[in-house]
Amino acid sequence: MFEISPVMKTPPLLLLATLLFWGWQSGFLIFGAIMGVILESARLIRLRWDLTADDFRRIWNFCVLLALALIIYTFSTNGAGGFTNSSVAEATRNLGASATIFLRWLPMTLFLFIAAQTFNERESIPLAAISFFARRAQQLNATPERHVDISYPYFMLCLFSAGVHVNEGTHSYFWGQAALIAWALWPLRSRRFGPMAWVGVLAAGILLGLSGQHGLGELQRLINGYNAQWMASMMRHRTDVSQSMTALGQIGKIKLSPQIVIRLETKNGSAPPGYLREASYRNYHPQKQTWYSGGSRNDFADISHAAGNEASWILLPGKTNTSAVNIACYLEGWSQDLSVPEGLLSLPTGSGRLENVPLDVASIKTNSTGAMLASGPGLMIFDALYGPGATIDSPPDNSTNHLDMIVPTNEAPALEKIISELNISGASEEQKLMAMQQFFAEKFSYSLWLGPDKVARTNETALSRFLLQSRSGHCEYFATATVLLLRELGIPARYAVGYAVHEPSSHGYVVRERDAHAWCLVWNEQAQAWEDFDTTPASWVATENSRASATQWLSDGWSWIKFQIAKFRWGQTSLRKYLLWALVPVLTFLLYRIIFRRKRKRRTKLKTSSSGEVTAWPGLDSEFFALERRLAARGMPRLPSEPMVGWLKRALSDPALADLRNPLKELLRLHYAYRFDPHGISVEQRKALALKTRICLDAMSQLARPSGAATLK
Amino acid sequence: MNFIYKPFYWSYRYASGLWYWLRRRFTLAGLCVAGGFVVAGAVGSDIENTVTYQSFSLLFALLLLALVSSLFFRARFSATRSLPRLGTAGQPLRYRVTVKNLTAKIQDGLTLIEELPDPRPAFEEWLAFQKAEGQRIRPFRVAQRRHRNPFRQANVKAAEVPTLAANGEAESQMEVLPLRRGILNFTGITLARPDPLGIFRSFSKVVAPQSVLILPKRYPLPPIALPGALRYQEGGVALAANIGRSEEFVALREYRHGDPLRHIHWRSWAKVGKPIVKEFEDEFFVRHALVLDTFDEEPNSEVLEEAVSVAASFACTVLTQESLLDLLFVGNQSYCFTAGRGLAHADQMLEILASVKNCADKKFEMLEQLVLNHVAAVSGCICVLQRWDGERQNLIKKLRTLDIPLMVLVVVRPGGKKPDAGILRDEPEIFHVLEIGKIEEELAKLK
Repeated sequence: MFEISPVMKTPPLLLLATLLFWGWQSGFLIFGAIMGVILESARLIRLRWDLTADDFRRIWNFCVLLALALIIYTFSTNGAGGFTNSSVAEATRNLGASATIFLRWLPMTLFLFIAAQTFNERESIPLAAISFFARRAQQLNATPERHVDISYPYFMLCLFSAGVHVNEGTHSYFWGQAALIAWALWPLRSRRFGPMAWVGVLAAGILLGLSGQHGLGELQRLINGYNAQWMASMMRHRTDVSQSMTALGQIGKIKLSPQIVIRLETKNGSAPPGYLREASYRNYHPQKQTWYSGGSRNDFADISHAAGNEASWILLPGKTNTSAVNIACYLEGWSQDLSVPEGLLSLPTGSGRLENVPLDVASIKTNSTGAMLASGPGLMIFDALYGPGATIDSPPDNSTNHLDMIVPTNEAPALEKIISELNISGASEEQKLMAMQQFFAEKFSYSLWLGPDKVARTNETALSRFLLQSRSGHCEYFATATVLLLRELGIPARYAVGYAVHEPSSHGYVVRERDAHAWCLVWNEQAQAWEDFDTTPASWVATENSRASATQWLSDGWSWIKFQIAKFRWGQTSLRKYLLWALVPVLTFLLYRIIFRRKRKRRTKLKTSSSGEVTAWPGLDSEFFALERRLAARGMPRLPSEPMVGWLKRALSDPALADLRNPLKELLRLHYAYRFDPHGISVEQRKALALKTRICLDAMSQLARPSGAATLK
Repeated sequence: MNFIYKPFYWSYRYASGLWYWLRRRFTLAGLCVAGGFVVAGAVGSDIENTVTYQSFSLLFALLLLALVSSLFFRARFSATRSLPRLGTAGQPLRYRVTVKNLTAKIQDGLTLIEELPDPRPAFEEWLAFQKAEGQRIRPFRVAQRRHRNPFRQANVKAAEVPTLAANGEAESQMEVLPLRRGILNFTGITLARPDPLGIFRSFSKVVAPQSVLILPKRYPLPPIALPGALRYQEGGVALAANIGRSEEFVALREYRHGDPLRHIHWRSWAKVGKPIVKEFEDEFFVRHALVLDTFDEEPNSEVLEEAVSVAASFACTVLTQESLLDLLFVGNQSYCFTAGRGLAHADQMLEILASVKNCADKKFEMLEQLVLNHVAAVSGCICVLQRWDGERQNLIKKLRTLDIPLMVLVVVRPGGKKPDAGILRDEPEIFHVLEIGKIEEELAKLK
């Protein structure tokens, strides 16, 4: 393997210029200037720390935690940095805006790390500090420590971070980064070529880059167009309030995922609703196999919340609601006007009131066909109170259009044949419904397979083929046929889409994407209300359930995790409030450890050395040390690293100590033997050392103190 | 089932190939530019909310120009290495390379890179290594996985080439760090020229095949009192021909059955009338057996590498002018190499050890047979084993029965459970477990 040197330092003042550039572009000019000055001051200041790999690892962990805290902070708060409960709408203005803030702040969050490298004795960092794998390799393979210099990566980070702001069409960023990149590359140029060649190539590169960025704009638009289509194909089908395209007449197998889309918990022991309706439609277009609502996309009227209770939204004032269910569903659309998530609520038919609605819901609107459009947090958890009787849907259209009675003319022959087969002319409305239910249950079967037999021939429609030939299909066939048959029989009906609720879960019920269903709403003249009427054979639930894979528990687990994250993300749990404040002591503690741990270590070492092993060294209790202190007090201190022999020779040059010269030399010999002779000294010699030292000390105390000597303490 | 591994093998092959290409072709500044290009592409994908795409565009332009400029390097060179005969694994191998400029143009700012053969193994070899690792490491234990590449032969450092005058030549000092013992082949020498911005290199290659034998890594050993005493050596005189005690006549005695005929003293026979033979002073000297266990199924076992290193350390240290050392191991067949007392030198034994490989197709009994055949002549036996199982314990048990002084060294992988001394529980001083990574420390404790 070919090796390259991992250490490469930035030229002087480059980091200062880059941080100033970053500060200018990001609006943190003061911070950029301060950070740049601190980093460049290392070239003037001699102060350096001797940081170990462990220290670097702790600083790195701190920076990563800081970055994580920043992610949580930016995703939980609005752009202004406030932290309030009502900030969700602001924070969701643009998911990218949060990412932008995070990226823009990155140079600040990692500043401590680059500063640690700059003021370290060795101006590089051990790779093991930032890489788990390098650390493991070092531990297990006993490989030598590898160091890297992060100043160039930090330079690049600042450069890219400076570019994370809205494109205002100016070229200030381009020229600024071009100058900085040129500055960074200048010291690394090849000495084979002269400066002019370097300038020439760089200038060509800059011109090419400048023209390339215009081309990129066009390319981006192309990719965006493609991307949108691709993303749309990846995402789950979303109900459109104005139209519902069916899969009537198509070939292939309808496949919907087992992903959990709604969670329900019944309240007060009531049974769960059979259906959760998202929308209903009036007009069927047989050529397009599409149902239309009959109104415009903007045909919505605001619903207001109850006076004095912003968590309560009244859909039908005065309605008696006999049941209640807690619903958790996602809003997966996006409101361009409010810049918040938006989506249709799935509600039981006959819902009269919504309780415990999140306070940050921006609006709830309804249209004439009973669709409920909510704008607010991406996850809505609320209680729906419902009961039999009135619904929020408009009554049957009695205008000249008779929208709830229209039957396409090309479907009429097939419908008439079926009606004649049913033989229910003259029966009451209730009898007609029962007969129809029985007819579909007995003579039709449920199938997700759309084979060639279901493809309409030239002179027939998909629906008439279903009714007269195949008599097998999925819920859209049954619902469409039922609605049109009822209308043919003079009963107003609508086509409804939503979900069927049938799968109990630990605390309630779950609704999967494959539980998406179509049925019809039939007008009950006596009750003056719309009622659910489903003719799809009951076997459809079993058929759908049989498609559950063995690994469904895995996807359910993942759905649960996503649900919990969404709860946290959209403020549907109180945990979010406390998390940021919980991070403060954690970060403070980490900072404390980084700053004070080294001192503690040193203190521990000293403690250990004074109490433990060091006393095991022989000779440390020698009385000669008392003599050394006494002589030091007389103005003859031993210099650091001065051998005792040299020092004693110097000390004994004092004429006052002339009498003590020989005894002191003898004592030093004994002291040396006591300290360093592997065989040690005998008991007699040890006693002699103690005794003679005491005599010498006494003799010295009799001597006159020389002028200017320190007082013995 | 092996086909499941194929995609992993090809990903490894292409990823390592790409990384090799990147590291050779790009300078460090170039790697920063290329890395920046990728990051800028990711960050700047939204051109309305960021302007980082402008960095992407500029860095792309710089890379493109650098790549284009690499097409215009047409210089020709010749190069010759002055390689030493031997190197040692883990020790830098330094040598000179003479480069000659074959053009009439001054060549400056060149870098010299050694070309080694592609170290990436064939699928079967790679698979054998992965399976051996898989057996050793429990699934999902990332922390147990050791980052090592048994296929890489050496790390090569690039060297600067002094300015080459027109048709002139210059010398560069190269440094290669051999990572494995065995033969290290060089295939050629590459002269790299960076582009004006200093981010991308263009190459001019010179074919220069050569090889050097890399000896096993050795550990320093303390002065060791090896087991065993002087032993009578049957062919003593022949072995002690150069150094040692010379032939010395002691006495005459009557012929005993089995005495060599050349020792018959014919004149005494004539006088006495019955066969009389000359008696000489017997030759006694220390002769040790160094037994190396080469029985493991894993072809690139790090345990074998360390066992060879330990054996090489003994071969270097034990060999004195006064003793013999027999190296016993099984390769394609059973081998016994004797060194010392003028027969052979440590270097020769190290050269043999440099070529030792694991043999998966033979049984441990072969080594047992070999050792037991030689054991009568040796004073003591040093056994370097790769594991401590029943077969190996059985061999040691037999040697103990023969009253052969022993030193048993078992090399084990790091982090694992240390094997129990088993039959040597009552003699812990002769049983040593050497954990990879701590072998030097463990050997330093030997007495």
